[in-house]
Amino acid sequence: MTADRPAPSVDDVVHTRLMDLAATARERGEVDGGTAPDPVNTPMVRHWVRAMGDTNPVYLDEQAARRAGHDGLVAPPAMLQVWTMAGYPGPGDDGAAERPGSAVDDLLACFADGGYSGVVATDCEQDFDRYLHPGELLRTTTRFGDLAGPKRTALGTGYFLTWHTSWYSGGERVGTMLFRVLKFLPSAREARAERPADAPAPARPATAEPYPLRPARSCDTHFFWDGALAGELRIQRCADCGRLRHPPGPMCPSCHSTSRDHVVAAGTGTVFSHVVHHHPAVPGRTSPYVVAVVELPEGVRMVGNILGVAPEAVHSGMRVRVDFERVDEDLVLPQWRSAEKPATRDRPPTAGAPALDLAMTRTSIIAQALATRDFQDIHHDPDRARAQGSPDVFMNILTTQGLVERCVTDWAGPAARVRSIAVRLGVPNHAGDTFSLRGTVAERDGPRTTVAVRGTNGIGTHVTGTVVVEVPGPRCGGEESRWR
Amino acid sequence: MALKGRAAVAGIGATEFSKESGRSELRLAAEAVVAALHDAGLHPADVDGMVTFTQDANSEIAVAREIGAGALRFFSRVDYGGGAACGTVAQAAMAVATGQAEVVVAYRAFNERSGRRFGQAAPGALRAPTSQGLEMSWHVPFGLLTPAGWVAMCARRYMDAYGATSEDFGRVAVAARRHAATNPRAWFHGRPITLADHQASRWVVEPLRLFDCCQESDGGVAVVVTGTERARDLRRPPAVVTAAAQGSAPGQMMMTSYYSTDPGDDMAGLPAMGIVADGLWRGSGLGPGDIQTAVLYDHFTPFVLVQLEELGFCGRGQAPGLAADGELELGGRLPVNTHGGQLGEAYIHGMNGIAEAVRQVRGTAANQVEGVANVLVTAGTGVPTSGLILSRDR
Repeated sequence: MTADRPAPSVDDVVHTRLMDLAATARERGEVDGGTAPDPVNTPMVRHWVRAMGDTNPVYLDEQAARRAGHDGLVAPPAMLQVWTMAGYPGPGDDGAAERPGSAVDDLLACFADGGYSGVVATDCEQDFDRYLHPGELLRTTTRFGDLAGPKRTALGTGYFLTWHTSWYSGGERVGTMLFRVLKFLPSAREARAERPADAPAPARPATAEPYPLRPARSCDTHFFWDGALAGELRIQRCADCGRLRHPPGPMCPSCHSTSRDHVVAAGTGTVFSHVVHHHPAVPGRTSPYVVAVVELPEGVRMVGNILGVAPEAVHSGMRVRVDFERVDEDLVLPQWRSAEKPATRDRPPTAGAPALDLAMTRTSIIAQALATRDFQDIHHDPDRARAQGSPDVFMNILTTQGLVERCVTDWAGPAARVRSIAVRLGVPNHAGDTFSLRGTVAERDGPRTTVAVRGTNGIGTHVTGTVVVEVPGPRCGGEESRWR
Repeated sequence: MALKGRAAVAGIGATEFSKESGRSELRLAAEAVVAALHDAGLHPADVDGMVTFTQDANSEIAVAREIGAGALRFFSRVDYGGGAACGTVAQAAMAVATGQAEVVVAYRAFNERSGRRFGQAAPGALRAPTSQGLEMSWHVPFGLLTPAGWVAMCARRYMDAYGATSEDFGRVAVAARRHAATNPRAWFHGRPITLADHQASRWVVEPLRLFDCCQESDGGVAVVVTGTERARDLRRPPAVVTAAAQGSAPGQMMMTSYYSTDPGDDMAGLPAMGIVADGLWRGSGLGPGDIQTAVLYDHFTPFVLVQLEELGFCGRGQAPGLAADGELELGGRLPVNTHGGQLGEAYIHGMNGIAEAVRQVRGTAANQVEGVANVLVTAGTGVPTSGLILSRDR
């Protein structure tokens, strides 16, 4: 033994162990994952479709299901994984018993021991062999896929872990899935991020870096940014002549007074002009994004982003309402959302293309997590979400899949058959934001239609994905009227 | 004492225009200045004044050292980006007219493509709490931080106000590229585009497409200004400074004058250019009908249309019609940017446009307009700006 060799770091030890476990897992091949706790059942379907807002009748209306060509009620394809989720632990369960045994359990345990407590799902590709009916009891198997890392990510240093799952009903395979997660070490800043919920409307996840587009401030302008931190949109007022002014400055151009105070704006406005930024890439913003000049009823104009509205839906004269976007610990930006009625976020699908706009609340995010039997704390506990560096609870991947499916089936109609859903996740969908999904037909081959889907929120792209959907019979052959 | 006719441009010089000059900005400046002096038939020792842009990285004294100039009696900088271009000649002409200096060189040189690109996002430069940093802070945090974005906001207003379309903007680009195609100095020499090409080019910041945006270029341009009497004895016929004007409007900001809610300020015009127009017409005693060709600053196509209206060449909202009728091309009523403009020739912050105006006055332009007596030149738009009317001598 040599005395001068440096002792391996903790990270090296963990890395070596992870690679050993990965090799072992690869050799094990297919691992029995046990049987689902409950058969496919209508109460859970009902809970799920309500949480997703999915009105496709084939899931709860027997007659509608038969009219659509099914042999009775069917379960939403995107629920496949839900049936074998362990759900909330019962008496006597410990953490390890939360899930059926899988090919990656040892790896997950090693991550936990090594301090890799952070987890986010990044990719999920599901293929459905057929639709499931109430009463079917599913069995599952898993197979290790891949382990890649360590990699530096925006969340922290971590590893991408991939595995494959298959579901069987009796001896028949009914669906398969590739699943990839990022297991990461929360950065030091994120680890101490257990702070009070002081953000008026948190939307941007806390990151290790301060927001790169910070405003310069002086003693003449501090009041504005302080107001934003306090959830107030402030307009400078001359303390002598009362003139309102934005942008603010040290001297009243009307009466030359240097005495100033401010009023709090009503928070409403109309879009006076707007642009959609595509190029070049801008640090801190995800293209395309909308910047507008907003005219306030108080008689001043301000620049801000229009959040939660598809760029093509923004127009001059559009009524907007202020919202406050927390971009980092010290900075909140006054931003704008649609105040049109009916709100654009709830409008019917755009003719000819799948579209879905949803306001996300803590309640909706928690209801969806529970409907998918996902009890990861980051999806229901704001304090735990913050401890991981997020400003609030955020949507789980099973819900993202459910909404991607809903977006496409809303458009394709009840007779459609979803054959596969593949999603890749980007920025999180936090409570308080708006989620806008848009689909475009990428390819049509007879009844088989490939729809590219992109879902955005106020901080960027949450999901990009592909849904393959079929509409049986001659209806699809060239009869466009089916495709709303 | 009016400026009219007292000073003239006696020489012009430039480097080649490229995307990567391969040499320092100071060298580009020195090369352009020496070329301009040679064109005028003057010696560096004759130079006693220098003017450039506040944004230029090459100080007057550094350029003076490189070219071996003698004593300087006048040096000045003009601010506000490309809005400085004609202002440098205005300052030089004033210095000459008042006897502060006899031979003043105005120059601009940069590696704007291979060095710092204006079209890229550079938020760090705006953080200082200077008046400009504070001004920028009302829009940079929202990702509105490129010139294309700032101009696009006004272009949308112009579209809303007058029903202008992306095709209307595209016709400005097509005309510029048509002129560049027959100008051997132009980067896009031999490479015209069609309106379909323009419409197929990608969005940069809606409603602006890639082909609505000028190039990013490396290069340098210099002009020599001296008294008209002296210029008459030099190598080239003088391009007389008939009028020179600078302008900044109430509520002016750097490309983001969005906040004035005064009636009539609807963000669909360019009030600073209106002030320059007033100065040019009053200073020269001329009117739009006296101008045979114009060099209008074209960092972005929509502002070429707006300038035609601010300068009085047509009424509000009528410029798209002029473009559609071919009136802005060679053979039209007012050929604009016969060198190809900054869209087609090069983006040297407006200085190459002044050189083109001088060539049109001399009768030596690649795309020469017949019977030129007066050329109107403008500088950067959306910022405090400037303009010139250069004329044939007597």
